[in-house]
Amino acid sequence: MLDRSSTVALASALMTTMTTTMMMMMTIGGAQAADDGKYPINWKGQWTRVVHREVEVQGAFDQTKPWGVGQEAPLTPEYQKVHRDSMADQKNGGLGNYPTARCLPSGMPRMMTFGFHEYVITPETTYILLSGSDHLRRIFTDGRDWPKNPQPTYGGYSIGKWIDEDGDGRYDVLEAETRHFKGPRAFDASGLPLHSDNQSVFKERFFIDKTKADIIHVLTTVIDHALTRPWTSDRQYRRVAEQVEQWPETWCQEGNANIVIGKENYFLRADGLLMPAKKNQAPPDLRYFKQTQK
Amino acid sequence: MLDLSSTSAIAVALAAALTMTVGSIAAADEAKYPNWKGQWIPVNAPGVGGQRVAFDPAKPEGDGQQAPLTPEYQKILKDSVADQANGGLGNDPTAQCYAAGMPRMMTYEAQEYVVTPDATYILLGGDDNLRRILTDGRAWPAKLNPTYQGYSIGHWVDEDGDGTYDVLEAETRGPFKGPRAYDPTGLPLHFDNESTFKERFFIDKADPNLLHDVITVFDHALTRPWTVDKTFRRNLDPQPDWPERYCHVTNNRIVLDKEPYRLNEEGILMPTRKDQPPPDLRFFTQSPK
Repeated sequence: MLDRSSTVALASALMTTMTTTMMMMMTIGGAQAADDGKYPINWKGQWTRVVHREVEVQGAFDQTKPWGVGQEAPLTPEYQKVHRDSMADQKNGGLGNYPTARCLPSGMPRMMTFGFHEYVITPETTYILLSGSDHLRRIFTDGRDWPKNPQPTYGGYSIGKWIDEDGDGRYDVLEAETRHFKGPRAFDASGLPLHSDNQSVFKERFFIDKTKADIIHVLTTVIDHALTRPWTSDRQYRRVAEQVEQWPETWCQEGNANIVIGKENYFLRADGLLMPAKKNQAPPDLRYFKQTQK
Repeated sequence: MLDLSSTSAIAVALAAALTMTVGSIAAADEAKYPNWKGQWIPVNAPGVGGQRVAFDPAKPEGDGQQAPLTPEYQKILKDSVADQANGGLGNDPTAQCYAAGMPRMMTYEAQEYVVTPDATYILLGGDDNLRRILTDGRAWPAKLNPTYQGYSIGHWVDEDGDGTYDVLEAETRGPFKGPRAYDPTGLPLHFDNESTFKERFFIDKADPNLLHDVITVFDHALTRPWTVDKTFRRNLDPQPDWPERYCHVTNNRIVLDKEPYRLNEEGILMPTRKDQPPPDLRFFTQSPK
């Protein structure tokens, strides 16, 4: 039987044990949390582009400036002309240098402009799910090298690495580089062009704002032969919700009235009849039809 | 009587036991979710349906699927196949780059399963590029917007009791958007868009590189629930190419005034059937070439 002093000693020892155990649990829990927490946990939820209300026309690469000429993109003279021609064609009812108007993908960097984004972070890959007509992005963080002959894509091939910049034991910055593109691609709906050689390179730094936990920065630098120098923009996205009840589903084909036949674009009325998009526009070539039109 | 050294020994033993328990719990937590990493390619029984992928991959598409359609929807399939034989698009909205939706989106060529405690993401590589199966324990929302893919809630099951989840059970409900077809022949789902899908995802017990998705469709176009076992083979390349498929990049079919036409390589309008009338150009002032 335990006497009083033994009971006190045992109680004291048990207290010590419990404290030690709690500390060990905290350490284990902490180690576990550190392992789990090596990757940021505060990027969850639904993110959408920050809208600068003072900017007249939205949807540009640099969100703080209007699209088109207002972007003040450092275009080469040749690509300034491509842009000018695009806008002139659009003014005349054409699509200009804007492939997305007929539901072709935006690709990089415009795919990061619209829709609601979700970041799914795993040690090997960070997925950016876009909820728009463009598909998702995979940023590989498994330490791989650039592949020798990847298939070019509109979204490009992205390799990244995580950095613990503030040294608190948890990654806070994702640095990514994206190459190997398909085109044509434009920065915005005015047809602000990327080079037709599709050799763009994008360098991005993703990080949460230090003072605003619901703002994510994607500092994007474009290196492209249509530009006289690298062009950098601090693209910002606001967290709309941490818990999302339903993610939207966007289909360009729904409601798209642009239709390209030959090299001309036309409008499709709601009843399916073809309309000119330009004044005095020639109708489509009907050489393969035997019957006369209605 | 216990002396202090005995007490301390007990204390250390207790601490060790507790630590082991905590360690085990932590390890168990980490291993709770299965490793379904990699690229999964749909398995199509050879020689049953050409390059197209049917809902039941063991049978040819269209009529060959032997779908338990109601007489009304058998006729819709028949009409669709007849229209396609005559150059039309039939009941195949995907031919115009509309979404495939559920269940056809599960036939896409390269899938990835990203498993997290809150959701399992199925990344599909086609225009229908993503499914979210929500596993965070939520209830069905009271009001949902219609989508082609529906709204999926799932839960993980440790069926063999080994401490690791091995089956993902999911239910997908509408309201759906439509029309949707199971395959390119236009094998129809009901136009009321009230389908429900129940799925069981699991790795084959005998083959760790074979994933099953046993899908049961409940749909008013069917006389009874229709179940198929879709399987996917893991690509063993650790760094596979992930395809990017955009329907509009390659699509050459257009519909004008309810008539389907094709564009040839130069983009010139072509009839899709013999003696097809050209489109109505009443809004053009110039005459066509």
